[in-house]
Amino acid sequence: MTAAGIHSTPRGTAPAEVAYPPAVAGLRLAWLHAVSRRVPAALGLLAALGVLLWVSLRYHWNVAGGPAAQMFIPLTIETGAAAVIAVAAYGPFGEPERATGRWLPYLRLAAAVALTAAAFGALAAGATGGNLPGGSVALLRNVAGITGLGLLGAVVLGGMLAWAGPMAYLLVTEVALQGNPTTPWVWPARPPHDLGAALCAAGVFAAGALLITLRGPRESERD
Amino acid sequence: MTATTGTAVRQRPPRATGAVPLTQARLLRIELRRNAMPLILPLIAALFWFDSYRPSTATPPLYVVRTFWNMGQGHTIVDFGPFVAGVAAWMGSRDSRRGMGDLVTATARPRWAAQLATWAATAIWAVAAYLVFVGVMFAVYAHQSVQGQPPWWWVAVGATAVTAFSAAGFAVGACWPSRFAAPVAAFGGFLAMMLSSQTGFTSTSGWALILPTNSNGNFQPDSGMLYPWLPDLPIARIMLLGGLAVAALGLLGLLPGAGGPRLRQAAAVVTLAGVVAAGTAVAFARTARLGPHGIAIPALHDAANDRPISYTPVCGHAAGLPVCLNPAYRSYLPGVTAALAPVAGEVAGLPGAPVRAMQIGAVYDPGEGGAGQAMTMSGDPPVLRMPLGALGLAGAFGWTGGQVADQYRLLFVHAFTGAGNGPGTAAQRAVQAALLQDTGVPIATQPKVLSSVGLPSWARVTGGPQPGPEPATGPVYAAARRFAALPRATQHGWLTAHLGALRSGHISLGQLP
Repeated sequence: MTAAGIHSTPRGTAPAEVAYPPAVAGLRLAWLHAVSRRVPAALGLLAALGVLLWVSLRYHWNVAGGPAAQMFIPLTIETGAAAVIAVAAYGPFGEPERATGRWLPYLRLAAAVALTAAAFGALAAGATGGNLPGGSVALLRNVAGITGLGLLGAVVLGGMLAWAGPMAYLLVTEVALQGNPTTPWVWPARPPHDLGAALCAAGVFAAGALLITLRGPRESERD
Repeated sequence: MTATTGTAVRQRPPRATGAVPLTQARLLRIELRRNAMPLILPLIAALFWFDSYRPSTATPPLYVVRTFWNMGQGHTIVDFGPFVAGVAAWMGSRDSRRGMGDLVTATARPRWAAQLATWAATAIWAVAAYLVFVGVMFAVYAHQSVQGQPPWWWVAVGATAVTAFSAAGFAVGACWPSRFAAPVAAFGGFLAMMLSSQTGFTSTSGWALILPTNSNGNFQPDSGMLYPWLPDLPIARIMLLGGLAVAALGLLGLLPGAGGPRLRQAAAVVTLAGVVAAGTAVAFARTARLGPHGIAIPALHDAANDRPISYTPVCGHAAGLPVCLNPAYRSYLPGVTAALAPVAGEVAGLPGAPVRAMQIGAVYDPGEGGAGQAMTMSGDPPVLRMPLGALGLAGAFGWTGGQVADQYRLLFVHAFTGAGNGPGTAAQRAVQAALLQDTGVPIATQPKVLSSVGLPSWARVTGGPQPGPEPATGPVYAAARRFAALPRATQHGWLTAHLGALRSGHISLGQLP
C-alpha cells in the first residue's frame, strides 16, 4: 500500500492546523515555551522565597556575628532564587525543538530575563519585612550575578546540576565573608554602590544570558 | 479463553533463600554504577578544600584548634550536606520524572525496596566520599605534625549527617518528582544549616546543643590532649541525625504503591522508630551539662571518659625553674620558658616561689568560656599550674609572641601575689605591677596588657573597662612605681617578710614601702 495519489486529509481525521493571528501565535509560542520550562512553577517558588525573605527579616533570622554574618540568610534566599531560575532553563525536547524553533534563542533569553526580573520583584517585596543589608541595589546586583552563575552552570553542567553553581558560590562567599574581601568577584561582600562589584555581577549575568541564549542548557542522558 | 483441566498445575519452585539478598545486591550494584552522585563529587572536593581545609591551616597545630572550624562548627557538613541532598532529590525523583513510576511499581520487587536500593547507592557514594575527604585532610594534618587525638566521634557525626541529608533529599525527590526538587532540597539543606548556625552559635545549653553547627562546650581547651573527647554529645547527634534519616526513608514506605500491607506496616514502625530516636536525642540534649571536660549527658556518660590522658611531659627550664608541658605542646615549650624566665628569675629564692611549673588541663568554664583561665600556685613545695589550653598561643588567632609572653608573665605574677581568681587587693595589684615592670613589662603598658583578649575577666577589671584601657594612674600604680623604684634587695627583703600577709590580703596599700 502506498500513499500515492492521496492529496487531502480524509474526512474524520485530524483537522487542519488552526491559523492564529501573528500576535496571538507569538504569545502562544511564549506560553508553550514557558510551560515546557516549568516557568509557572518557578514563579511560584520565587514567590515563596519572597515570603521566606519577608519572614526572615521580620523575625530577625540572623547568624550570630557582625554585619557580614547578618546578610547571610538573605543571601541564601537570593541564591535559592538563582538556583530555581537556572534549573528552569532546562528544556525537555532537545534536538526536535532546536531543529524547528527559530525563535528558541529569543525565548530562552526572554525566559531567563523575565524570571530574573520576577525574582528581583519577589525578593524586593519580601525585603519590606525588615532591613535588608545593602538594600535593593545590593539585592539586584546579587540576584543578577548569582543567576548569571546559574545560567552558566546550566550551559556547562546541564539541567541536572545547574543549581550547583549558585550553591557553590554561596559557600565561597560565606568563607570570604569571614574576612574582609576586596575582590569585586565576591560581590555580595562588597558595599552596594561598589562599581567593580556591580560590573562583575552584571558581566556574569550578561555572560550567562548570552550563552544560554546561543547554546542553551547542556543536554545529558542522565537528565 | 479457558484453562484446560488436563494440564497439570505447574508448581512455583521454592525461592532460594539467598535470592533476595542477591537480587538486592545486584540492584545496588547497578544503582551504584548509574548514580549521579559521583558527578558532583569534584565540586564538593573543591569546596571542601576551600571551606574546610584551607582556613584551618592558619591555626596552631593542635587537633582541637585545627578542627574547630571544620568539625566543631560543622563546615564539613555544610560543604557536603546541601549538595548531597540536591543530588539525592534528583535520584529520588528519577523514576517518576522519566514517567516510569508505573513501570517500576509493577516489577517483582516492592517499590520501597527498589527506592531503598537507589538511596543506599546515593548514600554510599556520599558517605564514602566524606570519609575519604576527611581521611585525606587528617592525613595531611598528621604530615604537618598536628598534635592530639583526632575527633573521631565528630567524624562519625559528619558521616551520619551526610546520610541524613541524602535520606531527606531522596524523600523530597520521591514525594515531589519535579526538576525543582533538587535545588529546593539543596536550598533547604543550606537554610537548615544557616538556621542551625543562627541558633547554635549563641546557645550554650538546652536543646540547641543538638544542632550540628553548635560548637559550644565541645571544641575548646584541651580535648584530645590532656583528656579524651567526650562522646556524649556526638552520640546524641548521631541519634538525632540517624533518626531523621530513618524516619525520612520510612515515610517512603508509607506512600501509595510502596508495597503490600505488611511492608507498609513495617515502614510505619521504621518511621516511628526514627522519630523516637530523634526525639530521644533532643531530650538527652536538654539534660546536658557542661562539665570540666565538655558537655556531659547523664544518660550517655561513661565515667571512664573523665580520666585524664596519661603522658610523659616534655620539660625545659626558665631561669632554673623546671617547666613541663604535655608533649602535644612541645613546639610551644621554648616560648613558654622564655616568657616565664624573667618572672622566675625575679622571684627565685623568695619563700613561696614555685619550684616547678607544670601544665594542667584547661577546663570548660561557662563563666569564662573556653579561654581566660588563670595560672594558679599550690602545693608544698609550691607548683605553678598553667592551663595553657585556655591561654593565648603564639601565632594563634593573631597573637604575637610578645603579647603571649606578656600575658604569661602577668598570670605568673598574679598567681605569685596570691590574688587568686579575682583582681586582688590594692596592695596585691601594686606589687603585681611592680614585679611586672621588673620583668620587662613597663607600668605604662600594663593597662593595655590587662585589657587584651584571652585573659580572665578579672584582668579587665584591673585594666579598665571597654573600649580601651585606662591610663596607668591612680594610687595603685603610684604605689607600684614607688615599690619598683626600690633596690632589688630591698624588694626581696620586704617580700620575704610580708609575702604571707600580702597573699592573705592583710597588707594595705599604705603599708607598702
